[in-house]
Amino acid sequence: MNERLTNLKNRVRAGEHCALRQGFSIEILTECETRQLSWPRRVACLVQRQCDAERVIIEPDERIVYTRTLPGVPPIYSPEEWAQLTAGCTLHEFGPVSNICADWNLLLSQGLLGRKQVALATRERLVDEPKAVEFLDSAVETIDAVLGLAARYADRAREKGQEEIANVLDHVPAHPPRTFHEALQSLRLCQAVVWLSGHYHVGLGRFDQYMWPFLCSDLQAGRLTVEMAEELLAEFFISLNKDSDLYPGVQQGDNGQTLTLGGVTPTGDSAVNELTHMVLRVSRDLAMIDPKINLRISAQTDLDLLGLATELTRIGLGFPQYSNDDVVIPALVSHGYALEDARDYAVAACWEFIIPGRGMEIVNIGAVSFPAAVDQAIWMGLNAQADFKGILGRVSENIDEQVHQLGEAYSQLLLPPAPYYSVFMDGCLEQGRDLSDGLKYNNFGIHGACAANAADALASVKQLLFEDCSISSADLLSALDANFVGYEPLRRQLADEGSKVGNNDALADTLLMELFDDLANACERYGRTPRGGILRPGTGSAMYYIWLATGHAGMREPVVGATADGRRCGEPFSANLSPSLGVYVRGPISTLQSFAKIDYQRICNGGPITMELSDSVFRNSESIRKTAMLVRTFAQLGCQQLQLNSLNLDTLLDAKAHPEKHKNLIVRVWGWSGYFCELAPEYQDQIIARHYFE
Amino acid sequence: MTSGIVFDIKEFSIHDGPGIRTTVFLKGCPMSCIWCHNPEGQSRKPQVIRGLAGERIAGIEYTAIELAALLNQQVYILRANEGGLTFSGGEPLLQADFVAEVIDLLDDVHVLLDTSGYGQEQDFRRLVNRSDLVFFDLKLIDSIVHRHYTGCDNDLILRNLHQLSEMGKPFVVRVPLVPGVTDTNQNLVGIVQLLRGLSGLLRVDLLPYNKAAGSKYQYAGMEFKPDYDESRELNLNTVLFEQAGIKVTVV
Repeated sequence: MNERLTNLKNRVRAGEHCALRQGFSIEILTECETRQLSWPRRVACLVQRQCDAERVIIEPDERIVYTRTLPGVPPIYSPEEWAQLTAGCTLHEFGPVSNICADWNLLLSQGLLGRKQVALATRERLVDEPKAVEFLDSAVETIDAVLGLAARYADRAREKGQEEIANVLDHVPAHPPRTFHEALQSLRLCQAVVWLSGHYHVGLGRFDQYMWPFLCSDLQAGRLTVEMAEELLAEFFISLNKDSDLYPGVQQGDNGQTLTLGGVTPTGDSAVNELTHMVLRVSRDLAMIDPKINLRISAQTDLDLLGLATELTRIGLGFPQYSNDDVVIPALVSHGYALEDARDYAVAACWEFIIPGRGMEIVNIGAVSFPAAVDQAIWMGLNAQADFKGILGRVSENIDEQVHQLGEAYSQLLLPPAPYYSVFMDGCLEQGRDLSDGLKYNNFGIHGACAANAADALASVKQLLFEDCSISSADLLSALDANFVGYEPLRRQLADEGSKVGNNDALADTLLMELFDDLANACERYGRTPRGGILRPGTGSAMYYIWLATGHAGMREPVVGATADGRRCGEPFSANLSPSLGVYVRGPISTLQSFAKIDYQRICNGGPITMELSDSVFRNSESIRKTAMLVRTFAQLGCQQLQLNSLNLDTLLDAKAHPEKHKNLIVRVWGWSGYFCELAPEYQDQIIARHYFE
Repeated sequence: MTSGIVFDIKEFSIHDGPGIRTTVFLKGCPMSCIWCHNPEGQSRKPQVIRGLAGERIAGIEYTAIELAALLNQQVYILRANEGGLTFSGGEPLLQADFVAEVIDLLDDVHVLLDTSGYGQEQDFRRLVNRSDLVFFDLKLIDSIVHRHYTGCDNDLILRNLHQLSEMGKPFVVRVPLVPGVTDTNQNLVGIVQLLRGLSGLLRVDLLPYNKAAGSKYQYAGMEFKPDYDESRELNLNTVLFEQAGIKVTVV
C-alpha cells in the first residue's frame, strides 16, 4: 500500500469523513403530503431529494468519489398514516427491501441512460396501465436524481482542477464505463444511493465476474498495470468502509456489504480470473472489514487460491466464507432454480444463496428453535411415559408447528415499493413492475438454529435414560426444572458422557440429521407462500444462538431454560453449525465429517460450519498450505458452507474470563500445541501478550 | 486383543509431521524430564485434569480394534492431504504391543513415530518397521547430566538411534532447547558429532524452550520444579549443525 492509500485508509479508520456530515436529515413529509403523492412516488421523491441534498465532497487525493453527508433517511409518511398503511400486515425487519442482490451488470453494460431508455420504451408500450406508468415514472425520476448528483460531482471536480474525476463522472454512471476506473466509480455511486434510499444489506454480488471485462481490457490495452489496478481497487474498498456506521444492523459491522468471488460461469466453466486473486490480495493488504468476501469453491479448486484465501483468515478477518458449488448448485436446481441461474448464485448478507437481479427473496424470515422443539418433546414425552421414538415424533410435530407459525407470520408480508433498486433488477423496467411485486424467485428462508445442542440433548436422553438407564426421567425433569441447582453430578453426566455432535459419532449425528430432515419435511408440507415461493430450510443461527437462550424483544421464536445437554438456563448455544460450546472434540476433521452428514440437497438456504483456529496455527507457509487443504477437504466431504476464523486477542481475553466456552481453543506454545484453558493464568497472559504485538 | 491407554487424540496437529495429520498421544512414559510439557502423559493411569474449563479425564482405554476403527474413519482424508497418523506420547514404545497392533489394523496410511528412543530394542524395531518416518528426540549426550534431568540413562537411546540409522528408515532428530541445559555448545557439539554422517537423517529440528512448559502441571495435580533459569536467553547455535553439513530448522 502506497502513502496515498495509507492516508485514505487512516482517515476513514479515524472517522474524519464523519465531520463532513450534515447535522440533520432532510424533511420531505410536507412535500409528499402537499403533492398528495402515492407510495411509489413518495419513494422516488425521497431518492430525488436525498440526492439533491447531498453535499459534494471531493478530497484532494481521491480518485473514486462519493462521501455520504446525510445522516439519515427521512420518513415519507406520518406515523398515523404509516400505521394505517401497514395495518394487518407484516413488515420484514425495519421495513424496506433489504438483503437482496442487484444485477450490477445491468448498470455497467447499459449505463443509467440505457436503463432510462428501457423504462421509457416500456412506458410507451404500457401507457394504458397506470400502475406500470407510475412505477416507470418513479424509476426514471430516481435515475435522473443520480445523474444530477453525478453531474454536481463532475462540476465540482472541474472547479477544483481534478480533471480526471470530472472526466470519469462526465461519462458514468450515465453511460457504460470505458475503463476499470469508470466501472468502479459508477458502482460506488449507484450502490451508495441504494443505501441512501433506505435499503440495507446492500451486497455487491459477483464482483469478479461483472468487473473483470473492464479490468481485462485495460490490462490488455496497457492502460493499467496490475499495480495501478490494485490501487484503484483498494481505494474502492476503502470507500465502502466510509459510511458503514450509518448502516442499520443487529451489530455494528453487520451491514451485509458482501461480495462473492469464484465459482462457475452460467455455462459451468471455472469463473476464477485474475480479478478473483486481485480482490483477495487487496483485501488482505487492506485488512478492513468491508467488503466481506465469499469464495465459491469446489472439490477441484486449486490449493494456491485456497492458500491465498487462507492468508485473509490468518490475519483474523473472519472471511472469506467458503461455499461449495458441488453442493449448492444442484440443491438450488432441485428447489426450482434454473441451472444457469443456480450457477450464477451470490451469497447474501450472511450466508444465504441468492440470484443477483432475479431474486426478491426474504432469506431469513425467522428461525426454528431446535432446542425448544427438543425440550418441549422431552417434557411432554417423559411425562406421558413415551418411548424414545415417541419423543422424536413430538420433536417433528413441534418443528412442523414452528415452521407453520413462521410461514403464517409472513403470509401478509408487505414490501414497500423500491423504484430505484428495481432499475438494477432483471425485468422490472422491461415489464413495468416494481421489484416489491416479485421477481423470478420469491422464496423465503427459515433457519434451523442451534442444532448441535438440540441433537446432543436428544443423544443424552436416548443413551442415559433409555439405553443405560443411568438417569431416571423424574430426576432429569427435576434437574431441568431446578436449572441443575443441586444436580451438578447429573448435569456433568449429561454434559460429558455419551455421544456429541462434532466427533463423527453416529448416535448424535443421526439425531442431527433427523432434526434437519424434520425441518425440510415441514417446509415442504407448508407448500407455497402467497408470494408464490417456497420455504427454504437452512442451517444458520445468526443472533439466535443468543436470542433463543435469553429471549429478545419482538421475536417470535420460543425460548428455553436449562436443556438436557447439560446447558444451564441462559447460557448461549453454539453458532450455526458447530459443536455445542464446551463439548470436547478431537478436531476439525471429525467436525467436518459430522456436519457432512446433513442432506444439503434438502437444506439449501445456507448457514456455515463455523470453526475457530488459533492464529498461532498459521505461522508459516507450510501451515497456510495445510489450512488450504483443510478447506479443500470441507468441499471434498460434500459440506455446504464454511466459516473459518483465526482467533484474535478478544477471543483469548474472553477465553480467559469464560474458559468454559472455549474448551477447544488450541494455542501454539512451544514446538507443541496446548488447550488454552489448561494453561496456567500467567501462561495465558503470556500468549495474550504475544498477540498484542502481532 | 491388546488394549492401550491414550491421553488425547488431536486432529489437524500441523506441527507433528507432513500434511494433515492426527496425533495419538499414548499415556505413560519411562522418562521424567524436568521440562516435560505433557505431564499428564507421564503416568500410565488415567488422571483428572482440572482446568479452568472444568474437569476432564486424561486417559481413555481402547482395544486395538476400537482405536484402529476410530482412526480408520478418517484415514482416507489424511491420505488425500499428504498426511497421516502420528503416534506420540508419553512414550509409544512403552505400549509397543498395542501400537504395533493398531498400526497393523490401519488402512493404508503414512505413519510417523514420535519417540524419545527410550525403550527395548526389539520394541523399537517393531514400531520403526511399521512406520514411514520417525521423529527421534535427542536431549543430552552426557549420560550423567541426562540421568539428572530425565531420570534415566541415555545408553538405550543412543543404541536405538544407531539401530534406526542401520534400519534405513528416514528420520528427523528433534532437540528441545532448554536454557543452560540442552542448548550448551558442549551438548550441541556432542549431538553434531553423534549425527555427522548418520545415514537416514533428514534434518535436525531445534525446538526452542518456552516458559509455558510448566503450565499444565497444576491442572494435572503435579508440581513443576525446574532447577534451571527459565528466563535465560537460548543459544540457538544452528551454525554448528550447518558446518557439519546437517540440515537444521528451528521449529
